[in-house]
Amino acid sequence: MTDYFEVHERDGAARLGELRLADPVRTPARADSFLEDAGSLWAADRPVPDGDESALTVLPHRGFPAGTRQEVRDAFRVDHPDVEFPSAAVASAADPVDAGADAYVISEAPALVGHAQAFVEAMVRIKRSLPADTAVLLSGVATPLNVATLAYAGVDLVDGTLARVKGSQGKYLTADGEHFLEDLSELPCACPACAGPREEFTREDCEEHNLNALDAELRRIRHRIHRGRLRDYIEGQARHDQWLTATFRRLDDEWGFLERRTPVIRDAEITAASAETLDRVEIRRFADRVTSRYRSRFDAPLVLVPCSATKPYSDSQSHRQFHDAIQWRGHIASMTSPIGVVPQELETTYPAQHYDAVVTGDWSSEEIEFVAEVLRRYLERNDYPRVIAHVPEDGYREICERVADAVDVPFEYTCGDHPTTDDSLAALAAALEGEPAYSKREREHNTVRALADYQFGPAGSGDPAEGGQPAGDGGPISDEGTDAGLFGDDLHTTGRYPKLQAWSGPAGDAGTQLATMVPQYGVLSLTLAGARRWVDSDVPTKRVEIDGFVPQGSVLAPGVVDADDAIRVGDEVVVEGPAAFAVGRAEMHGAEMTDSTRGIAVTVRHAEER
Amino acid sequence: MSTPTPEAFEQGRGMDAHNAVMREVRAERDETYDPHEPTRVWIDEDNTPDGVRQSLTIILNTGGCRWARAGGCTMCGYVAESVEGGSVSHEALMDQIDVCLDHEETNADEPSGLVKIYTSGSFLDEREVPAETRAAIAETFADRDRIVVESLPDFVTAEAVSDFTDVGLSTDVAIGLETATDRVRRDCVNKYFEFADFEAACEEVRAVDADVGADDVADEASTDAGTDDVSAGVKAYLLLKPPFLAEPEAVDDMIASIRRCAAVEGCHTVSMNPCNVQRYTMVDELFFEGGYRPPWLWSVAHVLAETADVDAIVVSDPVGHGSDRGAHNCGECDDRVQTAIKDFDLRQDPSVFEQVDCECERTWEHVLAAETSYNMPLAR
Repeated sequence: MTDYFEVHERDGAARLGELRLADPVRTPARADSFLEDAGSLWAADRPVPDGDESALTVLPHRGFPAGTRQEVRDAFRVDHPDVEFPSAAVASAADPVDAGADAYVISEAPALVGHAQAFVEAMVRIKRSLPADTAVLLSGVATPLNVATLAYAGVDLVDGTLARVKGSQGKYLTADGEHFLEDLSELPCACPACAGPREEFTREDCEEHNLNALDAELRRIRHRIHRGRLRDYIEGQARHDQWLTATFRRLDDEWGFLERRTPVIRDAEITAASAETLDRVEIRRFADRVTSRYRSRFDAPLVLVPCSATKPYSDSQSHRQFHDAIQWRGHIASMTSPIGVVPQELETTYPAQHYDAVVTGDWSSEEIEFVAEVLRRYLERNDYPRVIAHVPEDGYREICERVADAVDVPFEYTCGDHPTTDDSLAALAAALEGEPAYSKREREHNTVRALADYQFGPAGSGDPAEGGQPAGDGGPISDEGTDAGLFGDDLHTTGRYPKLQAWSGPAGDAGTQLATMVPQYGVLSLTLAGARRWVDSDVPTKRVEIDGFVPQGSVLAPGVVDADDAIRVGDEVVVEGPAAFAVGRAEMHGAEMTDSTRGIAVTVRHAEER
Repeated sequence: MSTPTPEAFEQGRGMDAHNAVMREVRAERDETYDPHEPTRVWIDEDNTPDGVRQSLTIILNTGGCRWARAGGCTMCGYVAESVEGGSVSHEALMDQIDVCLDHEETNADEPSGLVKIYTSGSFLDEREVPAETRAAIAETFADRDRIVVESLPDFVTAEAVSDFTDVGLSTDVAIGLETATDRVRRDCVNKYFEFADFEAACEEVRAVDADVGADDVADEASTDAGTDDVSAGVKAYLLLKPPFLAEPEAVDDMIASIRRCAAVEGCHTVSMNPCNVQRYTMVDELFFEGGYRPPWLWSVAHVLAETADVDAIVVSDPVGHGSDRGAHNCGECDDRVQTAIKDFDLRQDPSVFEQVDCECERTWEHVLAAETSYNMPLAR
């Protein structure tokens, strides 16, 4: 039960939180000014401290330093008192135990930081064992260099003790490293401590600078989390130290840990500038859903085209030229690193519309392998009569040739030296000569069905043909895929792409609106009727069970009785309780909703009493 | 010790756990030792109540500490230096003494006035050193001024101590009290006795001292009093920074402990020694995993300076100073601070510490201000 810590925003495992002291603190933050240590029980017996709301009080503790064996930890474990003020309990990373505190101080911190494997294993264990809405504090370890990675792994509070100690040792800390003061002929900083002449800069000044640098980095981190862009920063900044790079790479291997905490949609750009971008949850999740949930409903040939810098692709000049040549006679899929393959219906879907890659024309072997694998799986899942690869040399052609050897469908190549030359475009048009064009209606229906497939799973579209395997991270799914999806045969669409509305029956009073396409994220948001269809369908419903109230605007965590473990931030969810039926968007992952005692669980779009 | 209470139950649990772990740790060791050789022997200088004396220090191999066989102290690796079978005969022990006398003859110009015998156990425990051997050793060194013998407080009896005073040796019983704080001694060090037991042992020794003092008074007319005064006293051994204590807690514990020891009648000397990392100990495991750093030499100096006013000799002999496994500072100043500590040992003058400084003193001050049991070690 935590009363004094609340998570407001999430960016992977990183959180923007609020420690609700008399003067509230935004986290991740440095705790020095408000941390009160009630003392170690190793040294003396301690009374339960008085505590108050101005401070985070570390309850009397027996810290177990790294290397303490389990027998000793068990024998000397402390029972923490229930207190009425903001409190932190000291916990061991080896077996963290929920003690009802608002925050947990990890006693082995100095031995974990610097060792990627031990640190990642510890953080995963800590986050699994302690309630989601409690803060994790590491004391004596933070530097401007490592604190972004600590926050990325889910650390909420640090302190300035190490920065101060390093300053006293003449070690000048920056976000890109640690420098011996005597090696710096000028100081790479403009903080007040560094404002004086270089030769008058003392170790005391260095301590002050180190704290300033740590504080500045924490501000940067909070902003990054708020913008959903800490990962982009980490991919660059963590390279300044091997253990930090190793840490975020190892975290990428903790799929279950990271996936659960990564939103399915968000309004943030993805900078695709490093090899590790391919390992991001958003990227892998998209590739997985495209090759396991999505299915093309077009009879037309597949036209593979290169991606464009402009998003969505169809807004770009090159794609308009492709479109003029194709004239709705081919189903377009864009090939791109790091996303893989983006069928035209999903071009607005996060993160296809949200990434920005470095364009040099050079592909790394990892990129080629990744995109080739996605394309191969895509073609195995979808039956096309033919594939027209309108792609330039460089990596694109190599990928196509590699995949063409592995699949049955024939490939044709229509691109000369460049895809938008008159010759190339003419060849593309010629290859489609005689193919029938599909209708706007077919295009729009297929788009909303494709979004439903992508979002809710293979039966989501209501397509009778699709039995479908559950996608990797989805919940259980009925094997008897029937026509009981969201959209039946009476699907109608209105609006102008990409702002489509999906109806059951004709638009207007005679029909019922089920969903609206959200152009920023390329997903559907459901109406109450759509939510009801979802509940009645065979598609696994992501459900949040609430107490007997009618939610207005949002559902707070304490009101949640139970929540589907498969729910991720950004997911459509059905909210049901004795008094209400509602639909909205998840602001926490499912386990966090049931775990938490504070914070918004669901932003409700529509609700009705029942 | 007392009636069963939840607290007592917890004490038992902690001790059981420490003992179980220490038994396992010690079991990793497989060397055995020749019972006819002492564990170590060396010549040094020591500050005694009679002034500075050349000393012969003997670490007698008696088969090891009984408490350590149950598990024992979390920082002590000496126990492992035991012999196969666990006990050493009178003859073998006397062979060890002969080796030590040979060593002294080779390495010193004259016999040492002070002889110190440690066993990594209890010299006065007759299961370790039979009464017969104790008497023979007393006889061997009867020509010296003073002897120090190590013992746990349980085995300190007026009778045993008299074996030495009776042959004219001033006698100090060295007791590994480690700290005056029962909680720290029990939970961090894993020693089973209490401060009250130490006080009782001091009382036993004081009784002997009173006896020989009375004899002295009787003999005063016939002997050249002063040099031949025979006395008996206690030398308390304290441990700076056992595992699980942070630097400031350890320093505070030592300052309080030195004051409490010095206030006990009969305890004329306190030897406050920084914990060092010995193989096959719990401390070694913590150290290996990054959870332990031996104390700073600045802490040793600070404690000595802070307690310079007490009515007892206070000394410290940092073993392995300057190394990662011993008390150390930054690496630049370790030898200088060690020299100041040794100087203080002989002169008891805290101004020796004003002669040394180093930039790392500020780092140490930060450690003293901020290290806790959840962020240690704060600096290596």
